[in-house]
Amino acid sequence: MSARSTAPQQSPLPAWRYLWQLARFRPGLYLLLGFFEIMFFGVTPQVVGFITQAFFDRLTGDAPAGLDAYTLAALVVVTALARVAFIFADVAVYFNFRYTVAALLRKNLFEYILKRPGARAVPGSPGEAISRFRGDVDEVAFFMAESLSLAGFGLFALVAVVVMVGINPRITLFVFAPLVLVVVAANLAMGGIQAYREALREATGRVTGFIGELFGAVQAVKVATAEPRMMERFRQLNDVRQRAALKDRLFNELLGSVFRNTVNLGTGMILLLAAQAMRDGTFTVGDLALFVYYLGFVTDFIATIGTKLAWYKQVGVSIGRMVRMLQDAPAEAIVTHGAIYMHGPLPEVPYVAKSETHRLELLQAAGLTYRYPDSDRGIENVSLRLPRGAFTVVTGRVGSGKTTLLRVLLGLLPKAAGEIRWNGQVVTDPASFFVPPRSAYTAQVPLLFSETLRDNILMGMPEEVFDLERAIRRAALERDVVELEDGLATMLGAKGVKLSGGQRQRAAAARMFVRDPELLVFDDLSSALDVETERMLWERVFEMGESTCLVVSHRRPALQRADQIIVLKDGRVEAQGRLEVLLETCGEMRRLWEGSVNEADGL
Amino acid sequence: MSKLGSMGPQRTSISLKAYWNLLVSYLRRQWLWVTLLAVLLLLNIGLQLANPQIMRRFIDLTQAGEATAVLLHIALLFVGVALLQQVVAVLAAYVGERVGWTATNALRADLAEHCVQLDMSFHNEHSPGEMIERIDGDVTALASFFSQFVIQVLGNLLLIVGVLVLLFREDWRIGLALAVFSLAALLILGRLRDIAVPHWMAERQASADLFGFLEERLAGTEDIRANGARAYVLRGFYRLMRAQMKVSLKAALMINILLNAMLLLVAVGTAVSFAVGAYLFYAGAITIGTAYLAFHYTAMLERPINVITRQMQELQRAGAGIARIRELFQVPGRIQPPRLADSVALPDGPLAVTFEDVTFSYQNPPALDKVPDSPALNVLHDLSFHLRPGTVLGLLGRTGSGKTTLTRLIFRLYDPDSGAIYLGGSPPSRDLRQIPLPDLRQRVGMVTQDIQLFHAAVRDNLTFFDRAIPDERVLQVIGELGLGEWLRALPQGLDTVLESSGGGLSAGEAQLLAFARIFLCNPGLVILDEASSRLDPVTEALIERAVDRLVQGRTAIIIAHRLGTLQRADQIMILDGGRVREYGDRAALANDSSSYFYHLLQTGLEEVLA
Repeated sequence: MSARSTAPQQSPLPAWRYLWQLARFRPGLYLLLGFFEIMFFGVTPQVVGFITQAFFDRLTGDAPAGLDAYTLAALVVVTALARVAFIFADVAVYFNFRYTVAALLRKNLFEYILKRPGARAVPGSPGEAISRFRGDVDEVAFFMAESLSLAGFGLFALVAVVVMVGINPRITLFVFAPLVLVVVAANLAMGGIQAYREALREATGRVTGFIGELFGAVQAVKVATAEPRMMERFRQLNDVRQRAALKDRLFNELLGSVFRNTVNLGTGMILLLAAQAMRDGTFTVGDLALFVYYLGFVTDFIATIGTKLAWYKQVGVSIGRMVRMLQDAPAEAIVTHGAIYMHGPLPEVPYVAKSETHRLELLQAAGLTYRYPDSDRGIENVSLRLPRGAFTVVTGRVGSGKTTLLRVLLGLLPKAAGEIRWNGQVVTDPASFFVPPRSAYTAQVPLLFSETLRDNILMGMPEEVFDLERAIRRAALERDVVELEDGLATMLGAKGVKLSGGQRQRAAAARMFVRDPELLVFDDLSSALDVETERMLWERVFEMGESTCLVVSHRRPALQRADQIIVLKDGRVEAQGRLEVLLETCGEMRRLWEGSVNEADGL
Repeated sequence: MSKLGSMGPQRTSISLKAYWNLLVSYLRRQWLWVTLLAVLLLLNIGLQLANPQIMRRFIDLTQAGEATAVLLHIALLFVGVALLQQVVAVLAAYVGERVGWTATNALRADLAEHCVQLDMSFHNEHSPGEMIERIDGDVTALASFFSQFVIQVLGNLLLIVGVLVLLFREDWRIGLALAVFSLAALLILGRLRDIAVPHWMAERQASADLFGFLEERLAGTEDIRANGARAYVLRGFYRLMRAQMKVSLKAALMINILLNAMLLLVAVGTAVSFAVGAYLFYAGAITIGTAYLAFHYTAMLERPINVITRQMQELQRAGAGIARIRELFQVPGRIQPPRLADSVALPDGPLAVTFEDVTFSYQNPPALDKVPDSPALNVLHDLSFHLRPGTVLGLLGRTGSGKTTLTRLIFRLYDPDSGAIYLGGSPPSRDLRQIPLPDLRQRVGMVTQDIQLFHAAVRDNLTFFDRAIPDERVLQVIGELGLGEWLRALPQGLDTVLESSGGGLSAGEAQLLAFARIFLCNPGLVILDEASSRLDPVTEALIERAVDRLVQGRTAIIIAHRLGTLQRADQIMILDGGRVREYGDRAALANDSSSYFYHLLQTGLEEVLA
């Protein structure tokens, strides 16, 4: 399993496989879109072309019969009205499809990220991940929606070829010969396009990532008077991105220009060839008008094929970036079909009522090992045994692996080795297993969200079933709730900033308590609390009696109350047992304990 | 979700002047490039106008039975002009892109700078994800406005004028008919200009809400996962995504009213040229070549009208962006820098601190419907105290009693609602509001509860990208804090890139890094806010010496929950509900059995004795 976290990224499937899945997501909508695109790009322009040809032939007398010139002029307007009617329907279908595809991609990305080991859910910063959620998703959805205009164009081009061959096969050949050239040129240029686009996306990711971090850490920036330097850094990142964008643009323009120029050469060829035919009288002015009219569309079509090919490669880049964000996900995870809830009721938030099947008798772990990538830190061969009702404290110095141990046990980090057993049964997927009502967790620096305090604590649990008030009391938060401007309905602001550090920690504890789990896991719960609040909190935790607790702490009340203490040093278990014994036998434990003595004695 | 976003879709007309001002201010700095761009675009237009003339000549000459050699030359000329036009077009696109990027990057930087200067009450309301959307997303929507708008709109208007002039030259009736048509077309497009702006604004805000939500949740995956809140978070995500889709659809439909109008206009134009051409040809006033020219030029009018329409669409999106950007620029910095004349410098050495009747609440802005000094909302009430230079103050109190707020005020992360804070002692007293912010924050150092790390090298995380600080100094500080071992374990030493989430770094280590940051400055006042709360006793002992040295010769305010951290305090202040409960010399309070501090000491010692 360690191979999973450090293995080279698995290479994504070819892009069309993903796109095909997306096309099949709402097949009816996609086909309807195809119909409109064909009507809009394929059929109505043909009519205009024929009218133009008829008009000039009528003027020169090459086509004496038929509608007169003024009727033809009126027909142009009628055709346009028909087109407008199509557009309205087309636009509604087009954007519906496009946003549906985007929604599916975003849902799959986010859903999968929430399934990953929580402590390493996305590589890089959240801000950087946002650039993938935004730009890369949009790119793919846009491409999918546009993919069918090619069908419309294709149909138009097909009809055009048939008509032109009917008029003059030789000239027609010279119009379409450049097409082959273009496709070859575009294919030759693909490698370059991809590299430039990748560079641009990466530079963009760095810019958005930086903005996210800048504002996430804005207080630290202000405190350090680092604004000018941060702005300098921002400008540098912007410059890099600008250079990447210019390269990307120039390359695209050159490629587009190649397409357009081949077509213009084609036009020149028509003129050269038509000169002879027009003098022979086999090619009328109306035919010339039709050819040139067609050429405008064929220009677009050829350019479209070329740019679509190039775009396809760029879309491949975006897909690759999404796939890589999910790290070890199955290749097709991002395009898996599923409900996106764009209409109708939103999904209910299910909760699992606690039953006998969840009851914890004994939790065991053996040989737990984890290494942080690119460092030799982590935990090595840690074993522990938590019987029902036991209060277990993990202690050790900074960096000794306490938090890592909790994370690995709960599946928030993927273990490299080791086995976890719940009531003797092996836990195969700890990440999905260690959730309420089996266990709940409060991180050392818990995160709250910009919602109300109530929503932050309940996080979707039905208030009528779970005892919110008791949880708040257990977390020693009841006085703070009263003092908040709107009590439980207070909006906490981004990442819960409206609360103090200690309040945030206790709100997160309430979030854990309200779930009434069998196993309570908390990491340094009291680190931001004053002495009195801390004591109150410990008392209330101990009052809960039955609960099984796994706690990281170096506080005396916790150590003294512990049924067993696990002393970690450099990622390994240094010693294990009750405090009295450890004070006798373990030097590290003595040092940690003496440290707390000095701390309080010094007054 | 946010105050800025609450202004739903209402009809917001962006005055042309607003567009113009923005353009001028960001294009003026690169006028050479802009001039070059203009020249290229004019050239492009000229070449576009030339080709139909060649076509007309070709048709008339074939109809007249001209020799093939002459026709060949004309055809080659056509190809040559077309090629040249392509070269010019590529250059113009490149230069345009460059102008656009230079302008938008300058705007991004200005916007980011402005927002960073805003006080914390702003940042509490706006998540980093939303800021990404507003600083990058909104500005990106403006890119083509800068690079293309003026040039394209002016250029294509010129192209229209050029076409009309050439048509007038052929026949005044053709010219007149199409001039009337063009004018009507442009007027109609002008009227429809703003139709989608409010919808785009709503769309932008819905996007910002969605991505703000995402960013926050992505940072908190651990909390979500381990507390079984996945379904709940996904539900919120669906709700925001649905809202975004709804407003986006609406905006797209509104935009397409423009596209439809354009299609119809072009058809009417073609019909007009057909009718007039047929009439004049039958009347013998023009040749068939000229009739074709009229048709071709009309078809050519489609392009500029099309381009102008597209630019109008862009302008609508840009308009939404501009409105949101202006909104952001107009958020007043509640923390006003001192006027130059009033500003005073801080003295060297330890700084005195004085609070005079300071009252503060986090209400932002102070709500109008509530009594402004409603005591329940105030975090600090009439707080007064004086710290002599070099004094160490120990600050105690329950969580939420206002300790952290007090230190934030010293940093001017907020300004007090009433009362004043003085720094640097008297005479003359220096009101915080008279001290230039950089000076203030340079002379005050702080380690907070929240350690914020950047996705950047260790060095940059410690120096905040200040390359003037030599590596030796950084290494020395790291060594003094006992982080040497940790650093050696890193694969690239100081160049190792840290994850912004602090992954692979224990919270205690992160806190030591925060200490390192402050050691790299040389402040006259240091504030330690629960600074050692996450350190185990052994590690804490490790930095005790360092803290002792840091406090030496400086004024210090130490917030601590652990009584042990207060042993070096000269004075003790205990806050309760934003008021001073007890304030005095530590030694005196510790020996006074009636003092609350004495009582606290007993409680704290219980921890040891129990």
